[in-house]
Amino acid sequence: MRTRSDGMGGGLSVDCCTGVVFRALKGCRWTLGLAVVSGMGLLGAGQELVLGTAGGWRQAEPGYSWEFPRDHGSHPDYRVEWWYYTGNLETADHRRFGYQVTFFRVGVDPAPDNPSRWAVRDLFMAHLAVTDIETGRHLMAERLNRGGVGWAGAEPGTLSVWNGDWAVDLDGEAQRLVAVDRGLGVELRLESGRGVTLHGVAGLSRKGEGQGNASQYYSMTRMPTSGRLSVDGTWMAVTGTSWMDHEFGTTFLESSQVGWDWFSLQLDNGLDLMLFQLRRSDGGVDSYSAGTRVEPLGQSTSLGAGEFTLMPMRRWVSPSSGANYPIEWRIELPDWRTSLTVEAMVEAQELYTEASTGVTYWEGAVSVSGLTAGLPVNGVGYLEMTGYAGRPMSEVFGSW
Amino acid sequence: MSLFLKFIVRAVLRDPVRGVVTIAGLTLGVAVVVAIRLANVSSVQGFEAALEVVAGKTSLEIVGAGVGVPETQLAELGWLRQYGRVSPVIDRTAQLETLDGSVSLLRVLGVDVLRDQPFREYRLLRFSEGDQEPSPQELLAVLLDPTSVVLTERFAVRHGVNLETPVRLRVGDTAHPMVVRGLLLDEGPARVVDGHLAVLDIATAQWLFDRLGWLDRVEVQLFVPDGIDIAEREIAARLPKGLRIQRPAQRGRQVERMLAAFHFNLAALSYIALVVGLFLVYNTVAVSVISRRHEIGVLRSLGARRSLILGFFLGEAAVMAVLGAVLGTPAGWLLAQGAVRLTSPTVNTLYVTSSATVPQLGFEDWLLAGLIAVPLSLIAAAIPAAEAARVTPLAAVRDAEHQVNHREFPRKPVVAAALFLGLGAWMSTLEAVGGLPLFGLGAALAVVFGAAALVPILLELMRRFGRGMLTSWCGVEGLLAHANLSAAVARLAVSVAALVISLAMLAAIAIMIGSFRETVTYWVGQTLQADLFVATADRAPIGSTATISAAVERDIRTHPDVVAVDGFRSVDLPYGPGGDLIILGAGDFGVLLDYGGLAFKVPAEGAAAMRTAVGRDAVVVTESFSLKHEVGVGEAISLDTPHGPRQFRVVAIYYDYSSDRGLVVMDKATFARHFGRQRPTGLTLYLDPTANAEEVRAELLAAIGPDRRIFIRTNATLRAEVLRIFDSTFAITYALEAIAIIVAILGVAATLLTLVLERRRELAILRLVGAGREQIRRMVVVEAAILGLLSQGTGLVVGVVLSLILIYVINVQSFGWTIQFHLPLGFLAQSTILITVTAALAGLYPARVAAQIVGERAR
Repeated sequence: MRTRSDGMGGGLSVDCCTGVVFRALKGCRWTLGLAVVSGMGLLGAGQELVLGTAGGWRQAEPGYSWEFPRDHGSHPDYRVEWWYYTGNLETADHRRFGYQVTFFRVGVDPAPDNPSRWAVRDLFMAHLAVTDIETGRHLMAERLNRGGVGWAGAEPGTLSVWNGDWAVDLDGEAQRLVAVDRGLGVELRLESGRGVTLHGVAGLSRKGEGQGNASQYYSMTRMPTSGRLSVDGTWMAVTGTSWMDHEFGTTFLESSQVGWDWFSLQLDNGLDLMLFQLRRSDGGVDSYSAGTRVEPLGQSTSLGAGEFTLMPMRRWVSPSSGANYPIEWRIELPDWRTSLTVEAMVEAQELYTEASTGVTYWEGAVSVSGLTAGLPVNGVGYLEMTGYAGRPMSEVFGSW
Repeated sequence: MSLFLKFIVRAVLRDPVRGVVTIAGLTLGVAVVVAIRLANVSSVQGFEAALEVVAGKTSLEIVGAGVGVPETQLAELGWLRQYGRVSPVIDRTAQLETLDGSVSLLRVLGVDVLRDQPFREYRLLRFSEGDQEPSPQELLAVLLDPTSVVLTERFAVRHGVNLETPVRLRVGDTAHPMVVRGLLLDEGPARVVDGHLAVLDIATAQWLFDRLGWLDRVEVQLFVPDGIDIAEREIAARLPKGLRIQRPAQRGRQVERMLAAFHFNLAALSYIALVVGLFLVYNTVAVSVISRRHEIGVLRSLGARRSLILGFFLGEAAVMAVLGAVLGTPAGWLLAQGAVRLTSPTVNTLYVTSSATVPQLGFEDWLLAGLIAVPLSLIAAAIPAAEAARVTPLAAVRDAEHQVNHREFPRKPVVAAALFLGLGAWMSTLEAVGGLPLFGLGAALAVVFGAAALVPILLELMRRFGRGMLTSWCGVEGLLAHANLSAAVARLAVSVAALVISLAMLAAIAIMIGSFRETVTYWVGQTLQADLFVATADRAPIGSTATISAAVERDIRTHPDVVAVDGFRSVDLPYGPGGDLIILGAGDFGVLLDYGGLAFKVPAEGAAAMRTAVGRDAVVVTESFSLKHEVGVGEAISLDTPHGPRQFRVVAIYYDYSSDRGLVVMDKATFARHFGRQRPTGLTLYLDPTANAEEVRAELLAAIGPDRRIFIRTNATLRAEVLRIFDSTFAITYALEAIAIIVAILGVAATLLTLVLERRRELAILRLVGAGREQIRRMVVVEAAILGLLSQGTGLVVGVVLSLILIYVINVQSFGWTIQFHLPLGFLAQSTILITVTAALAGLYPARVAAQIVGERAR
């Protein structure tokens, strides 16, 4: 399988989705019901890709023609899709918070026979997490729904994605993001800021060897953000910067890929960096690791696996899952004479998503410092690390 | 105490038959009461247990009017999430065919497991390692395929079902092939309904049960369970029209109320055997007192206080009562098994589907049996015991006081009889209390006591005027029998009264059932006009929503000999302030008027009135609906619809005996306007007059094909079916009554035996003066037969009176049916012969004892 998750969020969601599918399969050893599974092509993707579809789902292929705001919307032909928002915010008196809101759509059966509205074509999951940097608290909530009678969904053609009363939609160029769960949540307005950056080759982000093991992937890397945020039922006005990822595809990971480390960084010299590496079961790093460098005016450059290194430094062991996460990283981009240190703002930013995706991972706000072209640089960002917790990813995939 | 042992216990042991018979009678009486109570409890409990499982941790539920909650309304209910978790549910019953060929009725729950897991436990066998519940996705994966069904481990073990085993789920006219994908662990809810539970994904359930677009209810689990009162009020205020909020237990109460009249009448019947048993107690203690006046006198003269004597005889009754209760309770549990078998078809056919199992005996069952048997026995024994206490020490020296013949006509019984009968007459004019015929039963009870008071009068009349007749019929044995009976009038009165009462009840019930059957037969003849009746093969209660599929209806409508089709749809609907579940039906009024034949009660021109209902918000209602809810023609009733309550004018009332719940029927167009288009639950077909119904039936079945599970009945078979259901409904009634008669006949036999034993000396003298063994035997048998005949004669007369109360008071108040009075003469004649013969047979044992008494005993 293809493992790279191009985007930060992307990686995660792949994980989540495969988790669901995997569990389904392991649970019952029947494959008919879950067309998803065959669609996923974890094993046999090769053959299915010939037709450019897998189990009735469309594969991510080169030559996709992008158009916005249409492509902010849902792409129901593809099996898996996610909208991923992360950001660093602060109040007027400089109290700092990190936040993450993710909406997932995972296709189950592109055309269910059952005419019931409750027949499951897609499953919708959502995660909300807030890190209170000052107190070191990391709070989260999650949602899992079938489309049913509009309990969750994603409109094609424009940005309108919702899960229960959590939603994101367009307000002119800006995006409105609302996710509140009993005293915890955000109500934010995200300006489009630097605009859309396509990753990979014209937005096609390869994840693995097999054709079609890829996703369509773009980001909005620097979105001026304002609104309010609630912790324990107390609302606070906040401002800051967000990063949005939107990714869709049908088959992603390969079996040798055990997890990934994904970075989204916003530097004070005006550069934005997206980097991810896919870790292999043999301990090495997959050649499909990649990244994108975005300049202040929006001009972007793709980075190949050979153009950067990610070195784990200090580690933190989660007391609840036992996972050993590198929470300090050294990033080298020799061609750009850039050397950065990325540190978690709070160690404990692990998520347990038993009620939705069922995957345990680390996702949190980070601070950046270092040198680029001999000049000091600072910044903020988000880091996502999967495949460290509980059942290793290799075992999950290995059982295939 | 030791005196009690010597005086009472030894005496009882010396004459064990009487004691044993009394205890046996009490045991049976207690057993019947316990059995019926358990059977009643179990049918409600069967439903409530299922309700509990199904309700899980639900605090509140939102229900719609009749056809359920339109699922599109769910989108407007997003605000519910501030109160708690929300889960939509399809809740049905269906039959499951397993590979072993058996077919079981299951509760089927269709849920969205993603939402539902906090509501109910879903511990699956395969996930049980590590004691973990599967995650929502795992559950969803199990259920997602439209052929997936989850059963219980308990059911699986019983029917040899395993994971991946194919089964077939029969819903309406279709048997859907399914595969068992999961088994719920045998614990908690899965155990409560005895494993008769199946879980489907909500999408699958909607599809299979023809519920696309509809939910049976929406359940809410509050975040703050303590705030349920406030939450219920607030949610009620915000719900859109047509939806109601209630607590899950509400459905249990509705069912309880629906069954209340049926259960109440069963319970009342069950007490007959106990009353008869109490007469035996009275009789035993009375005989015990009379035969020991001398001894009592001796005790008194030795200084025993009156209270001691009173205590002795009450103690005797108490000991018998305790024994009766102790033996009767487990016997009742055994009888309850039979009673459930007899009553559950009725409950399932007419009221609600529930799998009734008799609950285990608890402490409260024993306690209750004791609390019924002991005080009532003490009351029954109080009269003779008080008489014993009045015996003076002089009795010790005045022998044979008890044999003094009454020369004066007994005046007290006349007064008592008049009082009781008057009371009965008055009570029969009073209204029902809370839907239950309390005064009606009071009237019946008063008549029973009045009849009991009449017995000594009748015996006295027999003594005075029966001699010649008996002598001429039975010769010298008849003369002697008359003399013996005459001498023992006081002692016989009570046991004969017990027999009279049971026989009267039997006659009354026979008359009532006979009249009812006659009425139903007439009604069926008048109203069942269609040639063929199509129903799904589910034997579901009226008001269930197993529908006829469109394909089947099309096959039927296209048959050339079918000239008209009336599609009938029925739904349960809560009505009135009490929320009684009535049945709302929809049919094609045009077809019904042109071809059918409703029997209208009001107005006389019912059909014309019914025609005016087409196209308007108007309905026809059944007689039982009109009586129960006090609604007349021209009045408007308010029915819940998906758009909120609506007024419907009642244009006619018709006779109907299919359900005592009450039916409201509207034209199908009116129904569709308010409740949306719904598939019919049954079809009635009218054929070309030249067509042969049997042939058309065969052709239709062939066209529909063997895969569809459809019953097509011809007019004749449906009529037979109606009467079969009718008879099975009353099977329990006869069974209860038979037990009461057995108890009563035992009583007569025991009394005769006592008389025989007391007359040893006389019988011996008769032998000495030349009476043959055979003559003695015949004499005793004649005595028994006389008592049987006399009891039956009296019983018949009293029975007619009781049947009038049953038909015109109790039935009307409980069920709201008009029953034409009809005497089942054949049955009554047969039973008279049977009872006389049985009584004579009951005399055989005492007769043999008597015949064995030989001359030496004359000393």
